[in-house]
Amino acid sequence: MSHATPSPAGHAGASLPAGHASAPRLPRAALDADDVRAAYRFQAGFYDSAFGAVSRAARRRAIAAVDRLPGERVLEVGVGTGLALPHYCAGKRITGIDLSTEMLARARARVRRMGLSNVDALLEMDAEQTSFADGAFDIAVAMFVASVVPNPRRLLAEMRRVVKPGGHILFINHFAAERGPRWWAERALAPASRALGWHPDFMLAALLGAEDSAAATRHTVPPFGLFTLIHLPN
Amino acid sequence: MTDARSQLPPEAQPEPVPVDPRLLEILICPLTRTALEYDRARGELISRAAGLAYPIRDGVPIMLPEEARVLDPA
Repeated sequence: MSHATPSPAGHAGASLPAGHASAPRLPRAALDADDVRAAYRFQAGFYDSAFGAVSRAARRRAIAAVDRLPGERVLEVGVGTGLALPHYCAGKRITGIDLSTEMLARARARVRRMGLSNVDALLEMDAEQTSFADGAFDIAVAMFVASVVPNPRRLLAEMRRVVKPGGHILFINHFAAERGPRWWAERALAPASRALGWHPDFMLAALLGAEDSAAATRHTVPPFGLFTLIHLPN
Repeated sequence: MTDARSQLPPEAQPEPVPVDPRLLEILICPLTRTALEYDRARGELISRAAGLAYPIRDGVPIMLPEEARVLDPA
């Protein structure tokens, strides 16, 4: 099996499914589901204050994009502590999934506390292998998730499957700079991937193939252009 | 990776919280992508094709194969 460059975190053991060979060779440490669970179990207590503030504008932008799209059945992939949930318009019905039990417990508490009646369900699922029927949603949105999952292309394929034809797929994520000082900083941070639970050196090409890339619309979102909103028609 | 409660016989467990019927409509087995049977009394979603019973905890289906109970081959 062809692997990317040797893992800086010394974590080369994770097996990649067949079909991954088409993905570009990227300087990424392999993160598996257990790494992700462990990182977010640890971060659940302070995630909102630490990450919430930095990502706030980007999250609001993604929610505004969801609200403007037609269709009411929305899947939020990687719903986490439910930071986004109070901000969707009442006309959207939200189902959220996450791999972290601890994060979901916080999301449920938030839904109860705020009486969010448009949240249909919060479920523990693997985003690359969900338990939803084909075309179950009008819109799927993944905020800050693409750089966390072991195989981003499989994440996208799964989102395409569960969104109806003619529906919409949205990503908001940090994508690594392709040059300049931020590129160097992100490369330097890459070995910390396992502790962080995400890849600072994650590149857009790991998520979108050439065809998807051509079909996608992109918008850079503040602060500092760190985040990009991607819209893919399904 | 099953918790202590799911090891108990069904009669020792509290009455299961029912699952939202709209949710049941869109759930399938993540391994086989086939339909699920809802065992209301046990609080489980059964995938005959995978031979697994996915637990429902507090009305929330746990759709993870590693959390599921392996069905008796009978």
